[in-house]
Amino acid sequence: MSSIIISIDFSYMGEQIAPKLADALGYQYLGLPFLDDVASDYGVPRDRLVQALNSEAFSWAASRRNSRLQLSFLKAAVWERFLSENIVCEGLAAHLYIREISHVLTVRLLSDPKLVTNRIAAEKVVAPKKARKILEKRVHRRRHWSRRYFGLDDFDPSIYDMVLSLSQIEEDKAVEVIKDMAGYRKFQPMTYSLQCTKDGALAAKIEACLLPENPNIKIQVRDGNVVLKPSSLRGVKGKQAEKLKEMVNKIPGVEYVEVHPGKNFAQRPGHFS
Amino acid sequence: MDKSLEVLILDDEPIVGKRLKPALAKIGCDVEVFEDPHRAWERLDEKEFDIVVTDIRMEDIDGMQILEHVLENYPRTKVIMITGYAMMNLAREAMEKGAFDFISKPFKPDDLRRVITKAAEALGADVSFEK
Repeated sequence: MSSIIISIDFSYMGEQIAPKLADALGYQYLGLPFLDDVASDYGVPRDRLVQALNSEAFSWAASRRNSRLQLSFLKAAVWERFLSENIVCEGLAAHLYIREISHVLTVRLLSDPKLVTNRIAAEKVVAPKKARKILEKRVHRRRHWSRRYFGLDDFDPSIYDMVLSLSQIEEDKAVEVIKDMAGYRKFQPMTYSLQCTKDGALAAKIEACLLPENPNIKIQVRDGNVVLKPSSLRGVKGKQAEKLKEMVNKIPGVEYVEVHPGKNFAQRPGHFS
Repeated sequence: MDKSLEVLILDDEPIVGKRLKPALAKIGCDVEVFEDPHRAWERLDEKEFDIVVTDIRMEDIDGMQILEHVLENYPRTKVIMITGYAMMNLAREAMEKGAFDFISKPFKPDDLRRVITKAAEALGADVSFEK
């Protein structure tokens, strides 16, 4: 069966949908509690992972590189979990990095804008007009955040397989609709999609390993064969290229590493810009 | 299922059939190889195969047409799509049209043998990957 990624535009509605869906399908639920596992596996404070995921904090320029590193840990950990099928994932921005896997159904849930504005107005004790401004600013920041770290616009409907408006559909009905969609033949695993998942998981692991010292390297993986493309060729000749190869060769699953000067990186999992 | 598994391989690159035929024969498959999709189409009109392995991108007739033609005439046949131009949308399209599996090239003969074994299981045939 396929795995499912749920993305909610604002966390005021639909938060019960992913756990309910996991229950209904008998799948594992992968949500915010998973950050505890990531924090312990990678030896980082959970708060930093939360902060990296928080687009509200995006304007803090000084923390960007740190956030990228925390997000690379999160990506590697989430990809690893997607190696086993039957997952419902939500709240970990997985729709922005678990990409091009045909058996992963990506769903966007849209909140009722009126309800969101009212909730903001109540929380911040402001007039609806001011609440709408706050909402616009959040959207703007989220867009910048998702483009900056993942090269995608979180609010672009074309990046999702399915978009559901929660102002038009009840939560339980949404669970039913997504469940039906996940059973659709298009979203069933196949040799190719399972291989892409393995490649993506390995690429994410390599990225998390290289990022602290080499933030500008593109990675492509296929069947354990790794191609690294640093942004500057001058910087990776000789010993440095050997060092990179040595680091990557230590990662389980890597069979061959090449440091490549070419530009033709195929659009497959493992390609990180 | 006592008889050997009848497999048709269609790929316009001769090396594919050349490599796969002996690999599948090893696990007891009776394999016919075609490079020309028109000739494969004619053969498919004459005979029902258990498994059809087809490339997707070919001149004149593409693998998706082969898939539709096979399933229209022999719904029981398992069709395995192979391509050097694998993309998510193409993979989804193939699955939606009823492909049994989708593999991207290049692949090792063992990879296809595994998929053939799975297809054989789905057909209730006795093919062992270990042979």
